[in-house]
Amino acid sequence: MQKALAGLRRINLDGLRWRVFDAKGQVLGRLASQIAVVLQGKDKPTYAPHVENGDMCIVLNAKDISVTGRKMTDKIYYWHTGYIGHLKERRLKDQMEKDPTEVIRKAVLLMLPRNRLRDDRDRKLRIFSGNEHPFHDRLVEPFAMPPRQVREMRPRARRALIRAQKKEQATRTKEEGVKTEECHIRDLWIETL
Amino acid sequence: MTRVPRGYIARRRRTKMRSFASNFRGAHLRLNRMIIQQVRRAFVSSHRDRGRQKRDFRRLWITRINAATRVYNVFDSYSKLIHNLYKKELILNRKMLAQVAVSNPNNLYTISNKIKTID
Repeated sequence: MQKALAGLRRINLDGLRWRVFDAKGQVLGRLASQIAVVLQGKDKPTYAPHVENGDMCIVLNAKDISVTGRKMTDKIYYWHTGYIGHLKERRLKDQMEKDPTEVIRKAVLLMLPRNRLRDDRDRKLRIFSGNEHPFHDRLVEPFAMPPRQVREMRPRARRALIRAQKKEQATRTKEEGVKTEECHIRDLWIETL
Repeated sequence: MTRVPRGYIARRRRTKMRSFASNFRGAHLRLNRMIIQQVRRAFVSSHRDRGRQKRDFRRLWITRINAATRVYNVFDSYSKLIHNLYKKELILNRKMLAQVAVSNPNNLYTISNKIKTID
């Protein structure tokens, strides 16, 4: 918590809004791009590229961020220490166990332009793993994420999903002993014989 | 042979250059050889950036108009605003639109009412 309040003196805080992003269930990259836009101040009509005028961004629930596909196990962060042969790697899963805030911070920082304002923008970004933040005395406003356009399922994936659902339903009805409609119709037909 | 100094021709040429370098840094404003190089570079940058200036400002205006249309809920985005402007054949350029957006947002609503299509 002490780290969250660090460096606040260095930022010129008047006229800036404090926006709260809830990362629960959001896709990593899509959230990061929205944060980057707000952090640069590009949603204000008084944007100027040489002046740092972005809002303060607080991100909550960093440990509940989601990724699509197999990225949780397959996305690897690489870095080289400078010594020959020392290419290090870490998977997204391990990074989330170690420090979930780093995942979002890295994503957002790499979306900001690499110029002299980047460090100041980094200082304006505060990320928390849980739901609490120490800035309750200030006026914070939640940021409404644009609704997610989920792509329609591909036919093969949809068929697999339907198969899985049907199988689950069949095992469930077998356990409960409830008659399915087909069984009911079959019994009716047997009675007519 | 008698001594023949080279005269004032070169000196005159170099002092002409010196006036352009009067606000440079360190040796770049004092030493003739450095002045020639740096002034040449400065002129090249100036010429190239006069073309860039037009591009850069247009980018800035577009960013500002985009932000303003989203903030004031005039349209969903810059692209929709410009599309509708063109459809109604309103000849407002981006510089004016950006100025309007920054200084007087109410006029942005007036413009948008003129160009909002019914469908």
